Amino acid sequence: MEYLYFLYIELLHKYNLPEFIGMTTFPLLPFCVVAVALILVVLFLVLMERKVLAFFTQRKGPNRVGPWGLFQTIADAIKLLCKENITPTGAEKFMFNLAPLLAFVPVMVIWGLIPFSSEFDFMSYSVSALLFMTIASIPILGILLAGYASNNKYSLIGSFRAVAQAISYELPLVFVLVSVVVLASSLNLRQIVLAQISVYPFCGWFIFPAFLGFLIFFICATAELNRCPFDLPEAESELVSGYNTEYSGMKFAFFFLAEYAMMFIMCAFMATLFLGGFLSPFGFYLSEKFINNTFWAQISVYFEQVFWLFLKTFFLIFCMMLVRATLPRLKSNQLMGFAWKVLLPLSFLNLFFICCYKYFIYAK
Amino acid sequence: MIKKSLKPFRDIIALALGHLTVFKHVFKKPVTLEYPEKKLPLNDKFRGEHALVVDNEGNLLCTACGTCQRVCPSFGTIEIEKEKTEDGKFYPKNYTIDLSKCIFCGNCVQYCPFGAITMTKEYELADEKKSALKLDINTLKKNYSDSIIGERDTSKR
Amino acid sequence: MTTKNKLKINIGPQHPSTHGVLRLVLELEGEIIKSCEPVIGYLHRGMEKMAESHTYLQYLPIVDRIDYLSGFFNSFAYCNAVENLTQIEVSKRSQYIRVLTMEMNRLSSHLLWLGTFLLDMGATSPLFYTFRDREVILSLFEELTGQRLMYNYYTFGGLRHDVSSDWLDKITDFVKIMPKKIQDYENIITNNPIFTTRTKNIGIMSKNSALQYSITGPNLRATGINVDSRKTIHPFACSPIQLIYPELDFQIPTAQNGDSFDRYKVRVEEMKACLKLISQCVDWLKSNSGEVISPIKQPLLKVPEGEFISNVEAPRGVCSCYVKSDGSTKPYRVKWRTGSFYAVQILPKLLENAFYPDLMAIFGSLDVILPEVDR
Ligand code: SF4
Ligand code: SF4
Repeated sequence: MEYLYFLYIELLHKYNLPEFIGMTTFPLLPFCVVAVALILVVLFLVLMERKVLAFFTQRKGPNRVGPWGLFQTIADAIKLLCKENITPTGAEKFMFNLAPLLAFVPVMVIWGLIPFSSEFDFMSYSVSALLFMTIASIPILGILLAGYASNNKYSLIGSFRAVAQAISYELPLVFVLVSVVVLASSLNLRQIVLAQISVYPFCGWFIFPAFLGFLIFFICATAELNRCPFDLPEAESELVSGYNTEYSGMKFAFFFLAEYAMMFIMCAFMATLFLGGFLSPFGFYLSEKFINNTFWAQISVYFEQVFWLFLKTFFLIFCMMLVRATLPRLKSNQLMGFAWKVLLPLSFLNLFFICCYKYFIYAK
Repeated sequence: MIKKSLKPFRDIIALALGHLTVFKHVFKKPVTLEYPEKKLPLNDKFRGEHALVVDNEGNLLCTACGTCQRVCPSFGTIEIEKEKTEDGKFYPKNYTIDLSKCIFCGNCVQYCPFGAITMTKEYELADEKKSALKLDINTLKKNYSDSIIGERDTSKR
Repeated sequence: MTTKNKLKINIGPQHPSTHGVLRLVLELEGEIIKSCEPVIGYLHRGMEKMAESHTYLQYLPIVDRIDYLSGFFNSFAYCNAVENLTQIEVSKRSQYIRVLTMEMNRLSSHLLWLGTFLLDMGATSPLFYTFRDREVILSLFEELTGQRLMYNYYTFGGLRHDVSSDWLDKITDFVKIMPKKIQDYENIITNNPIFTTRTKNIGIMSKNSALQYSITGPNLRATGINVDSRKTIHPFACSPIQLIYPELDFQIPTAQNGDSFDRYKVRVEEMKACLKLISQCVDWLKSNSGEVISPIKQPLLKVPEGEFISNVEAPRGVCSCYVKSDGSTKPYRVKWRTGSFYAVQILPKLLENAFYPDLMAIFGSLDVILPEVDR
């Protein structure tokens, strides 16, 4: 970080700019980088989802705009931006406009909490895991508001369901998180990753002691993200499009963006907790082996770490897509029953098991 | 009791099997047909845009008998202006088919006693104006010379 | 009862999952459906009245459109009625071809139903798989008749043209690969715990109510009543086709509970039975030849005075066609009875006190198609 800062100041000096500009703008830079990166990732993610679903069903997927349809989502985004912004007459105007923002902004914020490499994480707090969970539950307010404000019965039912679902699935999620925290003895996400380093490659990953926890977390994360098979809030066969039925154009794009960004972040979070985050699965970094220059090796290790995190994240996302392609949607009462009767006890079991593990084996 | 306690395991196996079955399809060839560039091969019996059969001398086989009109389920699709030549034969002075009314059932082709009308493989018929869907006798003649199918219908019935 | 706590919701006529243009007026209490009122008629085309202004032949292409997913059945019911009124003999070969095409049509119709039903339930992939396989059948139909859905292939007393042996070979290939595909669908869905809990004991139709509402077809057989007009000969509809079905060896699948899962199961089993029938028909057609072209050549058919009801077991229940003739070239009255209409009638009863998400599990499993309801 220091090093980057000096690099930045030097760059400013070259253009004869005073130092205080550097001092004030430097903290903002990461956010810009993060925001742009997030949007790019989301654009890619949407395309990936469509492509992967197409492959599962023996289709080709988008392939018209650009090579392999790479620019398809950009075209879609432009189309959405050009569309008319419709506010229904009966809608609560202020809240109607507030809802997409409320869903989108927290997503942007928590994105910075993920440790991308051992050096660069844009916000690192001693309780970042807890902070993550806290902020991650704000978008649901946006959904509730959207359903309430758009004065549409489908939207209302959709947002009821979303809230009920979010509340009941947050619990097992947090209990699994607690088990990971117990394993790592830290609430800091980077510490959690570093705690997964072991002598043997990838054996220290928390997925091995906490496999049950990983499964629970995966299921709950899918539910939190309102993705199939838990996509009841927007079940199109029942509720047309759920809470965002009345939204169009830019506002819909915000919801859409938030949904996919949240999906990426959740998967990155999962990779951080269970799959060793930015750690290499080989136990050593490839760039350490192949680049002799120490300085450049150091730099490329950072990039490699980002690469490993993204690889793991995309693997998890792929799994989510497979689940989406296969499973039918749950029913609302079934959904609640599953969360309270199956997942919550199982997460207790997992926590108990992890505590025993930590006490008897890991601690020695 | 034992059966019930095994249920979660059976469920997990079923779920895994389902996911595997879906995943299997990744390795199969896509079945998509990229439509405007590639088209499905059509067979001879395809029922597309109409054409009036012209014989080798360039005369229409149609005698304006009106059978096609009578078997057409969509009233007013076919309109024929009947004329008489000097040697007492009937011929259609004008013959229009309104494709916006036609349901492409093929009855007219089937029941024409002279095999004078046929259907081509042309199916991309959308147009901006409704009037473009009214085919007059010249278009129908041209359709016939354009079509490759030739005399497939005369032998049928 | 107060309407204070109730939420009135209008589903349709334009809604992603009403399979056309059905409109349902639901009263919800929370997520529990208190009452349901189907509103039909958005696709009414006056099929029955239309017959009175068309000649017998002119009406023939139109009947395909009553249920556009199983056009052969409607065509058959109508042709059969007219043939019985005019006493035309239908050759054995053309009857076999009719059975063959009808069974293939049943298969394609069930495939479409399976895909859309599972899509309603939220599973996306099976839709594409079933459509892929249905596409094969439709291509075969296109090769035979010239169009994919509106076949207009049967005529009074026979068929438009014979089938070629190439075509029969293609069907043999298709029948060979199809069981594997059906197994795939079953792997994905049949034992899936989400699917089973969503459909088992949901929308139970008792034997009694099924009979009271005169439900037919797979919906009836799912309640355990083994009635199928392919096996049982109706007293007043001794259609020539029923001389063919007894020659073929096939089972009629039934179930006991009459819930959504059983309706699913019965249809899947029926698809397998269809394959069996198809291969038997192909075998017969390959080894026997005969005339299929109708003896009636003139376009204006005069039907002697009389009336007739012909029945055929369509994919959505018995499809019967009543034709009354006054001796002229146009029917005096044509009346259609189609399975979906009755399935919509029983919908409010099944939906009472059901969960809102069950709506799709129940409605989808009934296999209602709206053009058949409204006609
Ligand atoms: S096309 Fe055939 S049926 Fe029609 S008027 Fe001409 S000869 Fe008669
Ligand atoms: S195809 Fe059918 S509807 Fe069209 S003109 Fe011929 S008879 Fe009439």
